[in-house]
Amino acid sequence: MIGVDPRVSGTQRYSVHVERPGMLHAAFVRSPHAHARVLAVDASGLPADCVALLPEDVADLGRYGCQARDQRVLADVARHAGDIVAAVAAPTAAAARAAARSVDVTYEELPAVFDAVEAVAPGAPLLHPDAAESAGEAVSIGVRPLTGTNVCHRFRIRHGDAAAGFADADVIVSRAFRTPGAAHAPMEPHAALAEWEDGRLTLWTGTQTPFNTRADVAGAFGLRPDDVRVVAPPMGGSFGAKTFVRLEALVAALARKAGRPVKATLDRAEEFLCLNRHPATIRVRVGAKRDGTLVAKELDCWVDTGAYADCGPGVATKMGYAGVGPYRIPHVRVDALAIYTNLPPNGAYRGYGAMQSVWASERTMDALAEELGMSPLELRRRNLLRDGDVFATGEVMHDVHFEECLDAAARAVGYAEDPRGAGLCVLLKGMQTPSRAAVRIERNPVGYVVRSASCEMGQGVRASIRLMAAELLGCEPGQVEVPDPDTDTSPFDTRTTSSRSTHMMGRALAVAVRDLRANGGEHGFGEVVNEGGLDPDTGQGIASTHWHQGAASARVSVDEETGKLTVERLHGVAYAGRVVDRAGAELQNEGSMIMGLGTALFEELDFDDGQVANANLSDYNLPAPGDLPAGFTHELLESEGAEAHGLGETVLPPVPAAIGNALASLGLDVRELPLTPERVLEAVDRR
Amino acid sequence: MNQGFIDPDVLLSLGAVDGLGRIEAGDGGELRLGAMATHRAVERAPATAAWPVLRRAFSLVASPRVRNVATVGGVLADADYASDPPAVLSALGARAVLRSASGEREVGIGELIRGYYETCIAPDELLVEVRVPPQPEAAVYRKFRSRSCEDRPCVAVAAVRDGDALRVVVGAVAETPQHFPDVCALGAGRAAEIGAAYGERIEPIADARGSAAYRRRVTAVEVRRAVEAVA
Repeated sequence: MIGVDPRVSGTQRYSVHVERPGMLHAAFVRSPHAHARVLAVDASGLPADCVALLPEDVADLGRYGCQARDQRVLADVARHAGDIVAAVAAPTAAAARAAARSVDVTYEELPAVFDAVEAVAPGAPLLHPDAAESAGEAVSIGVRPLTGTNVCHRFRIRHGDAAAGFADADVIVSRAFRTPGAAHAPMEPHAALAEWEDGRLTLWTGTQTPFNTRADVAGAFGLRPDDVRVVAPPMGGSFGAKTFVRLEALVAALARKAGRPVKATLDRAEEFLCLNRHPATIRVRVGAKRDGTLVAKELDCWVDTGAYADCGPGVATKMGYAGVGPYRIPHVRVDALAIYTNLPPNGAYRGYGAMQSVWASERTMDALAEELGMSPLELRRRNLLRDGDVFATGEVMHDVHFEECLDAAARAVGYAEDPRGAGLCVLLKGMQTPSRAAVRIERNPVGYVVRSASCEMGQGVRASIRLMAAELLGCEPGQVEVPDPDTDTSPFDTRTTSSRSTHMMGRALAVAVRDLRANGGEHGFGEVVNEGGLDPDTGQGIASTHWHQGAASARVSVDEETGKLTVERLHGVAYAGRVVDRAGAELQNEGSMIMGLGTALFEELDFDDGQVANANLSDYNLPAPGDLPAGFTHELLESEGAEAHGLGETVLPPVPAAIGNALASLGLDVRELPLTPERVLEAVDRR
Repeated sequence: MNQGFIDPDVLLSLGAVDGLGRIEAGDGGELRLGAMATHRAVERAPATAAWPVLRRAFSLVASPRVRNVATVGGVLADADYASDPPAVLSALGARAVLRSASGEREVGIGELIRGYYETCIAPDELLVEVRVPPQPEAAVYRKFRSRSCEDRPCVAVAAVRDGDALRVVVGAVAETPQHFPDVCALGAGRAAEIGAAYGERIEPIADARGSAAYRRRVTAVEVRRAVEAVA
């Protein structure tokens, strides 16, 4: 079916479809205990045509982890229920699963902890007494573990003098909020295939991070990065779930043992054990003068990164500065702790920690407005960052559009006319910084081939690259071929995360096209490098070379007999600068808002002694078409001559707070997500 | 099976058994739903037009994709407490036909569903059909969901009034559909009292859709609303 989107015609091939001759299928032996030492693994009952990966098979392998090297290929201590302690490979997936069930593991159970606040209390069980720091390519922040505790990273902002600021405040409001764990639930599960040839490893894997994965796997196997090749077919959704090393080291070790290619595909229940969203507890204290001028803010975040750090340090960092909000505040203190617990690992999730702290921070702004007897809209306007203002990180802000975003959101729900039942939220969110992106263009008989490591996960990056390249090259989009990322042939890219690809690749493409024109028109190479980063001990530096700016507004009604909350109207606003692919950009906004709606209303991982009690899509609810509000709209703000801004996540984080504030305007103060009817009814009772 | 509760050695498909999917009028104005009739078919078949409450209840199950494969026999034999059809079928006085090599028997929904995933179907019996009496004019099905619109019910209330006779059945709150004839005998004019009594009398379970205490409160509200609707 020529001209039909391959996702529609069914011809699109994803990681789950990759096959190699003679390959075996993997299945995993998972710990039933949330915390237990592995004493013995007995695979003597394994059928002859199966291969088992046992602790002694991985003894020569190093540890891996993108921000702290705290993971072994097989866990010697299971740190969450579902942690992988052995693996098998068999001719069919069903045979592999049966074989995995025949492996007998003896454990010594250890005390476990399931809450980040409890995990930093004295006497809490320690998960990684000897956590080592990673020094891989993936590390862009200095990781600050607190030795002898479960804290794998402490991020701090010290801006001005918070104590003096509060002493100067006329009104101080303090609130604590919680958000639960959540599942990314991509349609396509995680899948990875490993094949060794003459000591060189090739991985076909659904990943947003081919180069980080290559570096980390190479480190674990003692290989040079060039001895590992990562090919990244398009993903059937990811939302952050397919970042950094997930199954790749396991299938590589199995394939090494088996002497044949090995592929693993997770089932739906296993998806809930692979990587989730960080649960968080956040305390906000904010002080203002009587006229509403903010003078001081304190934010404490307990960020539950689960059994392994993964990118939890980065998430805690972004959560920390996003929680300051897009405001001019002279005195700011932030302490954000990434904390180990015996839950499955938590990692990147669309918005990278911003939702959790924006929920807490923006709900507190409305509480402050109430305390001041001021309109929440007016309070925000009075304090919003404007061009030339200094943010809490010390950065001078440019290209600032928070007020336009907020005003557009307020207008959409008629906030100024009738604030009762309506709520607002405005946010600032950073992009991965520092960051490097490169692209190579080659002339071919039809047009051009554009090679980059930007990964397609349904967000439409290939379409964006095709459109931007065609415009720059003066050809039709159909003449531009964009192959799958392949670390052997694609130039380096930091990763496809944090809404950075259109922004970074667009700029790299412009450089590459200039290079092509200057050098005979056959080849062109372009690279852009954004320097920056924050000092983890002071939070000073460059948090983001380009800010994601957005807002949301909601109008709600409540059945006060049952607590059932109905979102009548939801509006999202993202500052886009310049829209590259309008249909794609609109889908990003809508998708972000729908995920935000699920987060606000019902998405929640239910843990029972560390076991995921709702590891299926019947017990774990995702938003359905019928859950969309009757009024569901969004805007992409543009301005003349502006560069393309990332917008893949911008309008997710503000949705829960906008809905929560709308509820609070009715006197119903719920501080824990999701906003279930039961919690709302409790708020009705309290009022 | 997906959740690992059962691991059968052999699975038998009823897909090719002739006649099990039929939906047709029976004797005395009753409706006969074959065990393999899909939810979608119940929702749309011309033969169900005189049972709008049944159509409504089946139309509220999950999504069209699920309703295209879920069957009348399947949902009853599964006996999952958090399903929509059992409460409405029970309120309408429907009877399930169980057939074995040695004969056939009819049981009410209250007798069929005995507990959590438990029915009275004997190992040699097959649920082949559900017979539904004519629907009285006053009948309502209220599905209260605490999460997505495609979720299972948190509290499901079916109320049917035929003259002075009121029958209220509450589903999804306990292991089996809950029906209190003595409370219903108060009559449809006393909706608030009936609601309050149902809220007190049920022995609610707690799950991800709501705690036991919450279910009591919502049951009282939703039963009252349902009775008001049929009064």
